[in-house]
Parts: sequence; C-alpha cells; structure tokens
Amino acid sequence: MTAPTPIPAADPVAPPGPAADIPAAPARKRRLAGQPITLLLGCALMVLLVVTAAVGQIWTPFDPEAPGVGLPFLEPGGDHWFGTDQAGSDVFSKTLAATWTDLWLTVVAVAIAFVVGSVLGAVAGYWGGWADAVIMRGTEILQSFPALLLALLLVTTLGSGLINVIVVVAFVGLPGYLRLLRAEVRARKSWEFTDAAILAGNSGPRVLARHLVPNGIMPLISYAAVNAAWVAIVVSSLGFVGVGIEPGSPEWGSMIAGGRTSPDSYWISLFPGLGILLLATAFYLIGDGLTDREDHR
Amino acid sequence: MADSGVVVPAPPAAARPRERSRGRLPRGALLMAARKLGGALLVVWGVVTFTFVVARVVAPDPIGLLVPPGATQEAQDAVRADLGLDSSVAEQYVIYLRDLITGDLGTSFGTGRAVTDDLMSRLPATLELAVPALIVGIVLGTALGVISAVRRGRLLDHAIRIVTVIALAMPQFWLGLVLLSLFYVQLGWLPGPLGRLPVGAQIPPEVTGSYVIDAVIAGQWETARQAIDQLILPCAVLACGIFAPITRVARSGMVEALRSEYVRTAHAYGFGRSTVYRGHALRNALLPVITMIAGGVAFAFTGAVLVEGVFGWPGIGQYALTAVEQSDFPALQGFVLYAAIIYVVLYALVDLAHSLADPRTRS
Repeated sequence: MTAPTPIPAADPVAPPGPAADIPAAPARKRRLAGQPITLLLGCALMVLLVVTAAVGQIWTPFDPEAPGVGLPFLEPGGDHWFGTDQAGSDVFSKTLAATWTDLWLTVVAVAIAFVVGSVLGAVAGYWGGWADAVIMRGTEILQSFPALLLALLLVTTLGSGLINVIVVVAFVGLPGYLRLLRAEVRARKSWEFTDAAILAGNSGPRVLARHLVPNGIMPLISYAAVNAAWVAIVVSSLGFVGVGIEPGSPEWGSMIAGGRTSPDSYWISLFPGLGILLLATAFYLIGDGLTDREDHR
Repeated sequence: MADSGVVVPAPPAAARPRERSRGRLPRGALLMAARKLGGALLVVWGVVTFTFVVARVVAPDPIGLLVPPGATQEAQDAVRADLGLDSSVAEQYVIYLRDLITGDLGTSFGTGRAVTDDLMSRLPATLELAVPALIVGIVLGTALGVISAVRRGRLLDHAIRIVTVIALAMPQFWLGLVLLSLFYVQLGWLPGPLGRLPVGAQIPPEVTGSYVIDAVIAGQWETARQAIDQLILPCAVLACGIFAPITRVARSGMVEALRSEYVRTAHAYGFGRSTVYRGHALRNALLPVITMIAGGVAFAFTGAVLVEGVFGWPGIGQYALTAVEQSDFPALQGFVLYAAIIYVVLYALVDLAHSLADPRTRS
C-alpha cells in the first residue's frame, strides 16, 4: 500500500551534503532493471508506435489519402512496400498515417472514461445513499448490453464522426472505472487516515480528492491500460463496420474492411490489422506490467 | 446488486454514515431471491427503456428508409400508421411495454416477420457456433491457466502468457479474415464464408437445430462433414476470444492459491501433487474463472456480432448487425432484450455458483 497522506517533503532519511548524491545514479538504473519485463516490453512497443505515429504525421512515401498512386492490387514489394489497395492507394502510407488516428482516438476515449468514471465512482463510493443507488443501477443497465453492439447502436444513432466515436466509446467503457474507484473509496472510507483527515477539519470533497482518490487510483491506472487495448479494438471494429470516423480518412478498421471484398489481396487487410494487434498488445503488456508491479509491493 | 433498494433508517448523528446497508438485509433466503429477481427485472426494464429512448427519440425518423424515394406524404403516413409510429412517443412506449409483457416483440422492418420468430429461427445457428467454441475455449483456457501457474517463471509459462496476450489483442474480425485468406484462398483446405452449409448442400431434416447433429441423425454423412468444415474457422476465431481471458484469471488465481499457506500445509501433509493442485488450489482459484466463463458465454451468445458477420453465419449476431445497419428498431430492441435476459440470468448463475463454491459469500 502507498502511504496514506502524500507529504511533499524531502526524503527524511537522506542526510544533506555530498553523501546524498552518490547513490542517485545506480538507484535509477536499478529502478529500471527491477521493473517487470512485461512493463518494459509494453513501454518499448508503445514508444515505437508513438514514434511511428509521429513519423506518419510528418512523412509518408505517398499521399495516404490519394487514390491511384500505383496500379490497384499491386503485391507488396518494389515502390509499394505493403502493396496497393483496390483504389491504387499505397497501403504502407495509409497504415503509417492511420497509426496516429487510432492511437489518439484510443487515448482520448480512455482519458474521458477514466475521468468521468472516477468522478462518478468517487461520488457513489463516498456519499452512498440514493446517488450510489442511481449510479450503480445505471451501471448495471449499461453492462447488460453487449458492449460492441451498444457502441454500434449509439454511433449509428448519433451519426458517425470523430467526436461521436470518442464520446460513445468512452461512455461504453465508463462502468469499469466507476466500479473500481467506488470499491476503492468504500474500502478506504473507514480507514484511520480518513478519520484523521476529517477530524483535521477537511471537508468531504477535499478528503475525497486529496486522500481517498489518490490512494485508490493505482488499480485504475492498470485497468486503464488493459481497457485501452479493448478500446483500440472497438474503435477499429466501428471503422470495420463502416460507422467510424469520416470515410476516406485513413483508419485501420476501415482499411481492413476495404480488403474484405478482394480476398486474393491479403495485404490490404493484413498490415492494418497488425497495427491494431501491436497497439493492443502494447497496452495489454503495460497493464499487466503495472499489475505485476503492484503485486510485488 | 444487494446494496441498494432497501432504505436504511438514518443512523444517529454521532455515528458516521459508513455502515453498509448490506448488514441489514432480510435474512430469509426467499426474500433475498425476491429482491434479486426484482433487481433483475429492474435492469431488464432499464435496458429496454434505454433502447427505446435511443431508437425512437434520439434516432432519426426511420420512415425515409422504409418508403421508396419520392413517396407522397400520404404513402409515408400510411406506412407510419401501419407500423404504429403515428402516435405520440409516450403512447408508443406504453404499447411497446404492453406487447412485451405478452411476449410480442413487434415486427421487424427489415424482414417483415415477427421479431420473436426471427430470433428463434436464428438461435440454432448461434448455438451451433457458440457451444463448441465455448467447450474448446473453457477447457483450453482453464488448462493453460493452470499449467502456466504451475510452471510459473519457466519457458512454458512465458510462452502461454505471450499467446494469451496476442489472442486478446487480436481483433476477431481481422483474425477471421486472415484465417480465411490463409485456409480458404491460399491453401484451399477449408470452405469460404458462406454460412452453415455450402450452396446447394442438402439441409438435414430438423431435429435438434444443429446441422451437424441433425445430419448424423439422418445418416447424411457428407452433409455432416460439410457442416463441420463450415464450422471450423468461425469456431476457432470465437474460441480464441473465449480462452484468453479465462487463461489469465485461471493463472492468477492458481498462482495466488499455490502461494497460500493451505497449499503449503497440504503439501506438508504429504498429499500428492495432483490432489493438491486439483482438490485444494484449483477449487479456490475457481471463483474468478467462473465469472470469466460467464463472460465468455455472454460473449458467444450475444457479442459475436462481427465473427458471424465475417463468416456470413446466419445467427443472432448477424441479425443484430443488419438491424443496426438498417435502423430496424423492433429487431434491434428484440435483440437487446434477448441479450439483457442472457446477461441477467448469467449474473444470477454466477452469484449462485459463488455461493456454492465459497461458503464465505453466503452471508
């Protein structure tokens, strides 16, 4: 468990003077080496993907959205490393450009779900009563839908587009965060540090925001990483069905759907799918690694 | 589910309001069951109402999709009246609920048939796909999880964990397309995504609803073989989505159990390894596995929308997908109700299984 109250003060054990500086460098090295291998692998993969996404924003061998940069259905090789699709677009350029889209869609949707879910979960867990009852019933109802179908239904109803996809995916992913933080807050509400904080004259919201939530947030972070993998898959599923972000802009799911009609040209679907696989794997590894680290403490 | 509904009298001001209402639950098992049933009905009602609001209030008017382009206002009004869409939303809601109670889910805009009939006619296809996938997924998932935990830190454990993460991170629709491209297009070993039987194959006389079993009963061996060939790929894809989460929870549950003192004690008493693993550790690691299996069942019965879509499998998932694409609200609402009932029943079964497996949860 982490310390109940974070005190922003210097390390009390370290004596002042030159002696304190010496262990700094090896300690940092050991910190990296002591991390679970899954976390390191996941982070490395994520850095690679972020760099790829950034590169795809600055440079692609061909214009990713332009049709007819080559003949249609060219096999991988030559000028077109991943081949060309049915419209003669360059699959490599498109896959590269789509990395950015899928990555930031996922991150933004997870961030929204994380924040909104935490606030609702904290309120439900701390105050209980009718707010808790209403929020939990709503969560149960939401979780009684098949998640992907709920997302499909909502995006179809609201209309496709970037904002709608983000909002819907965040909404569908909300219950996990809500339940987790609610449980954490409920469990810690009866601990002594909470009593101490209240007796010190802190208001309810302040105790919640400064003590209960920071202490219960770690499981949510591991969950967020695992959930991000799921979100990445849902975002691409929406694109695959054709209700994702505006058609034409490069996105892995819709690229895979493009290859469906021409099964002989496996490369149209294969490479964007590998992109999703890598992104989701990176998130899973990070989530697993964070959980492992918590378990070791 | 158990911590709401009953209004607990406010505690005296001196006591901080942190007592949980859980402790004041009526003791009688019958009351408990009634409360659970009430909660479940409330959830189903909530799901139905939410879908109704989304489909009839938020969604655009479906009439444009149902009449030929350029239809006159009179023709549009006639279709509207025919579908019961001419009354107010509140009236429609009341009628919808009333019909629902009598088991009438309305008529699909897309097929023109009763939604109940549509769902019933598609259920066998979904079951034929879901049952074998679930069997494979559950057995494989539990076995791999246990092996991984017993061999923790060894090469086999790492290999299983990598396979599991990849299986989880793989979009199912993409895996389906890749397998089709490999085994159908490139190698030609398995048939294409044409549903349950190839075109022109003889459909066996219906007994159980499963083409494979019905064909065997009728002695149509060729048809049975064809039906199995059609099943292999979608079944493999679905099983891939089911085994991975089970492996993860089985592994972590087993790892925890194997570290525990009761397992050490059992070893010290001299019980054999398999007795300790199966009788002591696995039994304790089973609870999260049961929950995850329920998730797998729900997924196979309702969530396999894209797997059915990719393989042209004429099941309930594909029906729902088509309903979404065509704004076929009665069909969609029927599917959502079906899914909600499955979820609620599964949650209840998980609760029951927990109280059977773990006496501590019975209080």
